[in-house]
Amino acid sequence: MPIELHGVGFTYPDGSRAIDDVSLRVADGERVAIVGQNGAGKTTTVKLMNRLLIPTKGDVLIDGASTAKRTTAEVARDVGYVFQNPDDQLFAADVRSEIEYLPKYLHWSDQKREERCSRAIELTGIQDHLDTNPKDLPSAVRKFVAIAAVLVSECRYVILDEPTAGLDSRGLALLHGMLDRLRDEGVAVITITHDMRFVVDAFERVVAMADGGVIADGDRRDVFLDDDILRRSRIRRPDAAQLARDLGLGRRALTVDDVVALVP
Amino acid sequence: MTSTLAAVAARYRRPMTLGNAVLDIHPTAMVAGITALIVVGLVSAGWVAPLVVSVLFVVIAFLAGRGRSYLGTILKLWLAVGLILFVLRALLVKGQTVLVPLGPIAITREGIQDGLRFSIAVMAICGGVTLFFAIVSMRRLMLALERIGVSPRVSYVILASFQAITDLGATARVVLDAQKARGIEAEGNVFVRARAFFPVLAPVFLTAMSATEERAIALDARAFNNPGRHTSLLDLKTWTGVDTALVAVAAAMVAAAVAGGVLGWF
Amino acid sequence: MVLAALKGVGFTYAYAEHPALVDVDLQLEEGLLHGIVGLNSSGKTTLCSLIRGVIPHFHQGDLTGEVTILGRPLLEWDAAELSRTIGCVFDNPFTQISGIRDSVFEEIAIGLENLGVPRTDMIDRVERVVEQLGIEAIVEKNPNELSGGQRQKVAFASIVAMDAPVVVIDEPTSQLDPEASEAVFEIIDGLKAQGKSIVLAEHKIDLLAQYADTVTVMHAGTVVMSGPTRDVVGSDEFGSYGVVAPEVTELGRRLAAAGRPLDRLPITRGEAFDEISARMRSTHAH
Repeated sequence: MPIELHGVGFTYPDGSRAIDDVSLRVADGERVAIVGQNGAGKTTTVKLMNRLLIPTKGDVLIDGASTAKRTTAEVARDVGYVFQNPDDQLFAADVRSEIEYLPKYLHWSDQKREERCSRAIELTGIQDHLDTNPKDLPSAVRKFVAIAAVLVSECRYVILDEPTAGLDSRGLALLHGMLDRLRDEGVAVITITHDMRFVVDAFERVVAMADGGVIADGDRRDVFLDDDILRRSRIRRPDAAQLARDLGLGRRALTVDDVVALVP
Repeated sequence: MTSTLAAVAARYRRPMTLGNAVLDIHPTAMVAGITALIVVGLVSAGWVAPLVVSVLFVVIAFLAGRGRSYLGTILKLWLAVGLILFVLRALLVKGQTVLVPLGPIAITREGIQDGLRFSIAVMAICGGVTLFFAIVSMRRLMLALERIGVSPRVSYVILASFQAITDLGATARVVLDAQKARGIEAEGNVFVRARAFFPVLAPVFLTAMSATEERAIALDARAFNNPGRHTSLLDLKTWTGVDTALVAVAAAMVAAAVAGGVLGWF
Repeated sequence: MVLAALKGVGFTYAYAEHPALVDVDLQLEEGLLHGIVGLNSSGKTTLCSLIRGVIPHFHQGDLTGEVTILGRPLLEWDAAELSRTIGCVFDNPFTQISGIRDSVFEEIAIGLENLGVPRTDMIDRVERVVEQLGIEAIVEKNPNELSGGQRQKVAFASIVAMDAPVVVIDEPTSQLDPEASEAVFEIIDGLKAQGKSIVLAEHKIDLLAQYADTVTVMHAGTVVMSGPTRDVVGSDEFGSYGVVAPEVTELGRRLAAAGRPLDRLPITRGEAFDEISARMRSTHAH
């Protein structure tokens, strides 16, 4: 069930153009990292995917069907979006109510609700906090609560906006584990991030954006190999990868492990 | 076209001018002038004077370069408020000369005249107040008040309150977006929207409250509470001859109008 | 002179169940860039608030122990003195903007107005800071219409303009992309070169390791490590508090684990480059 953007453009009411002529296709279980400077159009692009924004040009299709007639909330149940700031999305008095909010709202059967909530809670490792008020939790944990609240729906795509900001090593490990399990389930993950280490560790496909358009869309090694792409989208290689290049150790090395293998 | 940094800085170095003689009138003089016109409009017994005053306000707005937006606002006010006031008075005020009998509620000539007079008088007042806020930004008004010794805390509270209202709109949109993004329907009729918005009210309110404390601390970090003389980036034009003349004319107009009213000239 | 000295300091916010700071001992010297790292609940922000005097002037609570700022007990400083001597920027860009000015230029000038700086000086200083931060493009915009990242830059600019001898900054790059983050760190480095003392709470460890003179690690409300950057970031203990180490340091560790340790564990890109080149040369020499 692929999600496709066909030549979409979005112009704000005041006339400023955020993105123009963007085409993308994300298939089941794919992992895509969208990178680029602030203002390049990354957030606008993903908001068009879950219909938080309606394209002023072009069309967005899910599984071949246009989303033009559907409401944002309907599309959101297929395409989950976790905001950069979890506090923008959380409001319940305790974590359990937060997770169960959507199932109750959609009148799911008790069994279905139990199943989906347990899965979401397990994926995000928040079992110990179910009775706590989200506001009393550290911000890293709140992030996972917000992710769980989105995962509980049967979304086939999850958009994560800067998921690694503020996470400690334990949180990062949890996040990577969650991404692996989502892939096993066939759920596609799209992320917007400035964290290049995270990109090279977890995402095979990289979309580089600049000035409202897509500069590159392909395998991460190809994208990071190309100086021109990096220059135009003003992104940088992760430190280890850049080192390997500067030292002449190898041009396709990306992760720390890649570089370790190359150092004599 | 945006100016270069140097041009922007140069603009601040010059005495503050809004590029227009009307806009540059001192806020206090502006209050005097507008009040005088309102008084003149109201002192007369009929509806012609306040109508003329209302038209004059529109003219002044255009002279100030704010004509379009002022006209838009004032026409909406006339339609929403003025029309209703007129209809109510025309229908309910009893008179002698019946023009259209409608059973117990008859439309009389006196009723129409009363309606016109009342509604246009009210619109004249609204027009004046609207004109004031169209021409004098809150910022300049606060600056003028601070100049005469009003505490910066008062001006902060007033200006921040206006901004808070604008921010509320933006916050509501973010909140509804967040709800939609979770799959909670927020588009459609009022009830659907309310249902999406309601659970979030308390947290939004609480966030706004704690944000207030953070803002106070941030202000303090800018030495807001520093005793001693504060200076001002904006070089508010001091009282000029034009302002004095305006106040004098305003006073004269009021005197003449009151006298005329008393003497029955109107 | 000592910038800040804390002895046995504890602090619990009013109405809070648990203390935010527990038995904190810390000494920070003047004229240096001090990095503070730790998870969001570690007490990092409370520590910054304390050094700046936001605690006790704004936040009520139970403060124990001794706190000395620039040689004087914290409680002897009055709020106005603090705002003149210690500039501070907190991490929420939406509350750092005053909301009562119509342009970024005027927004930055607020602090200078409150300090009574003459208009011509004020305008010169604002111009300089706008250039420094590269925000010419938004100088005429309404601050209330800016994005989070733009607000962060404006808030930072506003404090830099005030030119206080000490600056306490809490996560100034959280909304910024890597290029803009590096630019902010360079400006902070520039402030240090002017002789200012800086306390900087940050998550971006790679940049912090590059620029900070000392690093203090906070965990569960107490200081678990504090000292010169190399000693703290390069130590084996560093990773045990959940804080992510710089990528080059991780590279060094994995090389060691693979049986090919470098002579020195690198904490900056420059060090990693030097160490690995040396390794490559010695390998070729054999």
